[in-house]
Amino acid sequence: MSSQIETFSYDDAIVRRFLWATVIWGLVGFTVGLLIALQLANPWFNFNTEWLSFGRLRPLHTNAVIFAFAGNAIFTGVYYSTQRLLKTRMFSDGLGKFHFWGWQAIIVAAALTLPLGFTQAKEYAELEWPIDIAIAVVWVAFAINFFGTLAKRRERHIYVAIWFYIASIITVAVLHIFNNLSVPAGLFKSYSIYAGVQDAFMQWWYGHNAVAFFLTTPFLGLMYYFLPKAAERPIFSYKLSILHFWSLVFLYIWAGPHHLHYTALPDWASTLGMVFSVMLWMPSWGGMVNGLLTLRGAWNKVTDEPVLKFYVVAITAYGMSTFEGPMLSVKSVNALAHYTDWIIAHVHTGALGWNGLLTFGMIYWLAPRLFQAPLHSKKLAELHFWIASFGILLYVAAIYSAGITQGLMWRAFDETGRLAYPDFVETVMKLMPMYWVRVAGGSLYIVGTLIFIYNIFKTWQARPATYEVPVVSAARLVAAAPAPYTAPAGEGLVARFQSARWHRRWEALPLTFTIMVVIAVVVASLAEIIPTFLIRSNVPTIASVKPYTPLELAGRDLYIREGCFNCHSQMVRPLRHETERWGEYSKPGEFVYDHPFLWGSRRIGPDLARVGGKFPDLWHLRHFAEPRVIVQNSIMPSYGHLQRNGLDFEGIQARVDAMVMLGVPYGEAVNNAPAMARVQAQSIGASIESAGGPAGMGDREVVALIAYLQRLGKDIKQAPVATAAGVTP
Amino acid sequence: MKLVDVMSASGLSMYAIVALVLFVAAFCGVLLMILAPGAAARHAQASRLPLEDDAPQSAGFRSSHE
Repeated sequence: MSSQIETFSYDDAIVRRFLWATVIWGLVGFTVGLLIALQLANPWFNFNTEWLSFGRLRPLHTNAVIFAFAGNAIFTGVYYSTQRLLKTRMFSDGLGKFHFWGWQAIIVAAALTLPLGFTQAKEYAELEWPIDIAIAVVWVAFAINFFGTLAKRRERHIYVAIWFYIASIITVAVLHIFNNLSVPAGLFKSYSIYAGVQDAFMQWWYGHNAVAFFLTTPFLGLMYYFLPKAAERPIFSYKLSILHFWSLVFLYIWAGPHHLHYTALPDWASTLGMVFSVMLWMPSWGGMVNGLLTLRGAWNKVTDEPVLKFYVVAITAYGMSTFEGPMLSVKSVNALAHYTDWIIAHVHTGALGWNGLLTFGMIYWLAPRLFQAPLHSKKLAELHFWIASFGILLYVAAIYSAGITQGLMWRAFDETGRLAYPDFVETVMKLMPMYWVRVAGGSLYIVGTLIFIYNIFKTWQARPATYEVPVVSAARLVAAAPAPYTAPAGEGLVARFQSARWHRRWEALPLTFTIMVVIAVVVASLAEIIPTFLIRSNVPTIASVKPYTPLELAGRDLYIREGCFNCHSQMVRPLRHETERWGEYSKPGEFVYDHPFLWGSRRIGPDLARVGGKFPDLWHLRHFAEPRVIVQNSIMPSYGHLQRNGLDFEGIQARVDAMVMLGVPYGEAVNNAPAMARVQAQSIGASIESAGGPAGMGDREVVALIAYLQRLGKDIKQAPVATAAGVTP
Repeated sequence: MKLVDVMSASGLSMYAIVALVLFVAAFCGVLLMILAPGAAARHAQASRLPLEDDAPQSAGFRSSHE
C-alpha cells in the first residue's frame, strides 16, 4: 500500500475555549444548585423575588449542569481526542468556533429566559422554541464538523471512543427534535404538539435518553480515551468495550417509560421500559469493570496521581448509579421511590460522581498539555479530590435517607387503617435535617471546585508567551475502500459471520456504521412510540372531560411560568395510600387536552391532580400570598406578585388559537376568549370579595391560577353527557 | 378512515415483543462477533490507538496495517 506522509497540526485553541467554558459554567451550575438546596431547607432563600423562586431556578440548575457544564466538558474531550484518534485536524476551524460561541449564546439565553418564566415545562427540555431552533442549528454545525473530520481521517480503524461520540451526536439530535415539536403562541410561548399520556411518553423517552446519550455515552467515550492515557496502558478489554457500546445503543432507547410506572401510561409500555432497564445493568457494569480493570497492575499509580483518583471514583459512581437505575425501574421499588428525593440522590451520584469527577480528572490531565506548563499543584488537586468525594457522600447519604423516609411516611397506615401522616407537611418537616446536610455536602463540592479553578488558573498563568504547535505527520488513507469481503470456500455461515470481517468493514466505513446506529435507535423508538400514539385503546376517552376555559388556560400557563410542576405532581397512582390521600386515581383520558402534560416527577409539595374544589378561592388567594399563614412550616415560596400583576386578557386569544391548531375543540372561545375570561375572572373576584377577601382581584393573575386549580380533577366527577366509546371528542 | 383507525384495528399488540426478540437477536450477533477467533489480535491493536497518538512519527506507517 502506498503511504504518502502528510504533516499537519491539531487545533487545540478550540479545546482550550471549551475547557474554560466548562470550568466557568460548572461553578455557575453548582452555585445555583446550592441556592435551590437552601430554598428547600428554608423558603427565606427565595428572597420573595419571583425570578429567584425555586420553581424558576430549578430548571436553570439542571440545564446549567447538564448542557453547560457537562456539555462543554464533552466538547472539550471530543475536540481533543477526535483529532488525535483520527490523526487529522478538525474538519473546519470556523465551524468549531461557531459551535463554541453558538453553544455559549444558548446557555446565556437559557440563563436569562428560565428565571423570567419562559419554559415549555418539560424536564431538561424547558427552553422555548426559538432557543430550541438555535440548539438544533448549533448541533448540526457540530455534527458536520465531526463527521467531516471522520471523512478526512488518516487512521483506518475508528476507535471505540469515536463510536460513542457518533451515537451521542445522532441520538441527541433525534431526541431534541421530536420532543420539542410544538406550536408557538408568541415569541416565548409554545404548546407541545403532543398531549397528556403521549406527551408524557415522548418527554420521558427524551428525558431518559438525555441521561443516556448526553451524560452517559459521550462520557464513556471520554473514559475510553482519557483513562488509558492517564493509566498509560490500553483499556482492559476492547471486546468488552464493543459489547458495552452495542448493548447501550440497543437497550437505552427503550428504557424511558420506567419514569412513568403506575401513571396513566399503558401498562405494557411501562413493563417494556422496566425489562430493558434491568437488562442495562449488565453492559453498564461491564463498562465499569472494564474501566477499573484497566488499572490492573497500575494501582500504585493511583496513590500518587490525582487524575487517576478522580477516574476511579467517577467510574465507581457510574457503577453505583447504573446499579441503582435498573433497581429503581423495577415497579415495586419504583412505587416507593417515585416522587421522592431518592431519585434526586440517584441523579447526583451520577452527576457529581460520574460526570463531575470524570470531567475534573480529564481537565487536570489536559491542563498541563493545553497550557504547556506543569500543573500548578498536585497537592491542591488531591485536596480537591478528597473534599469533593466527601461532599458527594454527605449529599447522597442525606438525600437517600430523605427519599426513603418520605416514601415510607406517605405509605404508612396506622392500626385503624388510616394514613399515619395525613398532613403532607409532616412528611416535609421530617426531611429538614437531611436538607441541611445536603447544603453542607453541596457546599463542600463547591469549595473543591473553587480550589480546582484556582489550580487551573495558576497553571494557565504559567503558560508560555506563545503556544508551541507541534507538527504531526501521518500517512494519508488510500482513497479506495478495503477490498470487498469474499467468503472463503467451504466456510459455514456461522464461521463466516464469526470471522467478523464485515464488522471490520463497517468500523472503517463511518457512514454505514452511523446508519446502523440510527437504525437501532429509530427502530426501538418507533416500536414503543407508534403503538402508544396510534392504538386508540391505549388512551380511552372520557366523555365528560372538556377543554380548559380561556381563563383556566391562562392560569395553566401561569402554573407553567412559575414552575409549579417542579414541586407538585398531577398524577394519582392506583395505590391504596395514594387514593386515600389524594382521591381517585388518574385516568389516561383525563389528560387529552393537556399540552404539555404536567404530571411532574417530584412531590416536594402535595399532588394537585384532584385539588379542584378542595379549598375555597379565598384559601388559595391567601395561600399564594403567604403559604405559611395557612400551612405553618410550609416551604412553598410566596407568590405575592400574582396579586399585584394584572392579567393579560387580550393575550389569551393567541393561546386559545394555538390550542385550536392542535385540535382542541374550543367552540365559542375561538373568537371570544378574552371576553369569556373576563366574565369568569370577575365571578371569582366577586366570590373572593364576598368571602371577606380583598376587593378588585377580578383582573389579577391570581384569579386565573385559582380558576385552573379549581378545575383540576373535577371533569371525571361530572355525569357523562353521552358515552360514545372510541370516538375522539 | 384515519391512520388511527387502521392502526387500532390491525392488532399490533405483539409489535413490541417482536422488536424485543429482534433486538435480543442482534445482541447475540454482536456477542458472537466479538468472541470470534482471530478478533483478539485486531482488538489488541485497536486498543492501543489512544496510546500511540502522542508518538506521531511512528504513525506514518500505521495506516498500512489493514
